[in-house]
Amino acid sequence: MLVTVRHILIIDDEDDIREVASLSLEAVAGWKVSTANSASQGIAVAPGLQPDAILMDVMMPGMDGPTAFRAMQAVASIAHIPVILLTAKVQAQDQRRFADLGVAAVLFKPFDPLQLATQISKALGWPD
Amino acid sequence: MADSGASSQLPEKTRALLQDLWERNLPIIHGRLNLLDEAANSEPLPDKLRIDAMNVAHKLAGSLGMFGFTEGTRLARQLELALDVPAPDSAYVALLSRQLREELFPSSSPTAP
Repeated sequence: MLVTVRHILIIDDEDDIREVASLSLEAVAGWKVSTANSASQGIAVAPGLQPDAILMDVMMPGMDGPTAFRAMQAVASIAHIPVILLTAKVQAQDQRRFADLGVAAVLFKPFDPLQLATQISKALGWPD
Repeated sequence: MADSGASSQLPEKTRALLQDLWERNLPIIHGRLNLLDEAANSEPLPDKLRIDAMNVAHKLAGSLGMFGFTEGTRLARQLELALDVPAPDSAYVALLSRQLREELFPSSSPTAP
């Protein structure tokens, strides 16, 4: 069976989140992972990487996830890449606000390391 | 790392890698717990310290569950909410802070400073 190796760019200022998400996607799903520890770094490297999707934290110092998403939409070479926001906010108004931005999906922290790839695939309509 | 939750279902190698990540992050976890204690013991609580403590609680809420500490995430989330008011109930913040520390590092186990 042909297995599609996805490439995900993880943008999060938290080392532990980046590390567990990388571990989850690489070791559990066999995907390729690139990381950035800030929104500005993520925006800088995304055009060259051309990942299949971007998994980005909402709350980051400097530029937050929603602002970074809008900035990405203005860059032609990466505007087509689906962006998934990752948030620990559980209040309904926050969830609506993030969904209204036009991102591909919103996933919630803490995530289950065993299920993260499945959650991403499901959110983006990728076949298993 | 907690023995309950999703991590207990992970393959052994992945579980060992998660355990290693948890141990490497312990200094950060202890720093965050110490900041929460400092906020709980400050009377009056300066607004900057309140906001820093609220942000730390938010980070803990978003990460502890990844390592199997689902109750730790619940307590951290309660702390974040408790600190998200101009004048938090310091006794309640102190209680939650103690419960969170006990959940992560039960007093029967040795803990790092």
